[in-house]
Amino acid sequence: MDDKDREILQMLQGRFPLESEPYKVIGDKLWMDEVSVISRVARMYESGIIRYLGPFFDSRKLGYKGCLAALQAPDDKIDAIAEVINQFPEITHNYLREGNPNVWFTVIAPSLERRDQILAEIRQKTGIDNIMIFASKKLFKVKVDLD
Amino acid sequence: MDSKTRQILCELQDGFKLETRPFKRIANKVGCSEEEVIEIIGRCRAEGIIRRIGAAIRPEQAGYAANALVTWDVPPEDIDEVGAAIAEMREVSHCYERECPEGWKGNLFTMIHAHSEEELREIVIKISERFKFNGFKIFKTAKELKKTSMRYFEDSRS
Repeated sequence: MDDKDREILQMLQGRFPLESEPYKVIGDKLWMDEVSVISRVARMYESGIIRYLGPFFDSRKLGYKGCLAALQAPDDKIDAIAEVINQFPEITHNYLREGNPNVWFTVIAPSLERRDQILAEIRQKTGIDNIMIFASKKLFKVKVDLD
Repeated sequence: MDSKTRQILCELQDGFKLETRPFKRIANKVGCSEEEVIEIIGRCRAEGIIRRIGAAIRPEQAGYAANALVTWDVPPEDIDEVGAAIAEMREVSHCYERECPEGWKGNLFTMIHAHSEEELREIVIKISERFKFNGFKIFKTAKELKKTSMRYFEDSRS
């Protein structure tokens, strides 16, 4: 990743141009041609720096309920437990962390009933009863804005 | 939300294809003009249904090797001020006040990204000295087990 890539990333993390030819608009601002912008974005996709390019929806405005959940998985059961958790499309993020609890995941469900159903299924399939739930109360920030 | 908007958002939810005119493709699929697609997306952004349009990066691929969830135990009367101030920091990507189960101490949840373990420690110390906390806990990221984007819209035609 070089300086030009970083400049493009900066633009892509701000306001994406809602224009017919958005990459041309970005290129014009950075003194680059459209093709170079697109090929650099493609390269950052391939190398895994960019995970996704598109709109981010506000789950709450769409009527969804989100929460962070955590449980303590024994070392030798982490993979099996992750497999159970990861099968739900409503669970979009799941991380192994140092500390206790060590498995942290997010649940975005259309209702609290569905959320509780998912958690109940995880309890039943993993045998881990104690899943901590941290519902979001106030959002101060969600934006990965790194140079 | 009308059916055309829903259709457009459904087409968009897996992100843009990399091409010169991403909105034209959606217009062709949905059967309306490119201008209309752009206008409807702009309206959703203004209404907040779309909170942002752009790239999601993998911090660990962009040179951020040390990432951590840090939970802070903030006195309730200070949480608005402290939460807003920490949210201003570039190194912090996520900052939420959360409801906590009984016995859990730490109501402010932050994701912090640093280039090294040392830098991560410095950021945490900097925050801990700036505000009054009853305590904090660091949960360093050991491994990504899953990371996807949520699909909110069903493709009604399939």
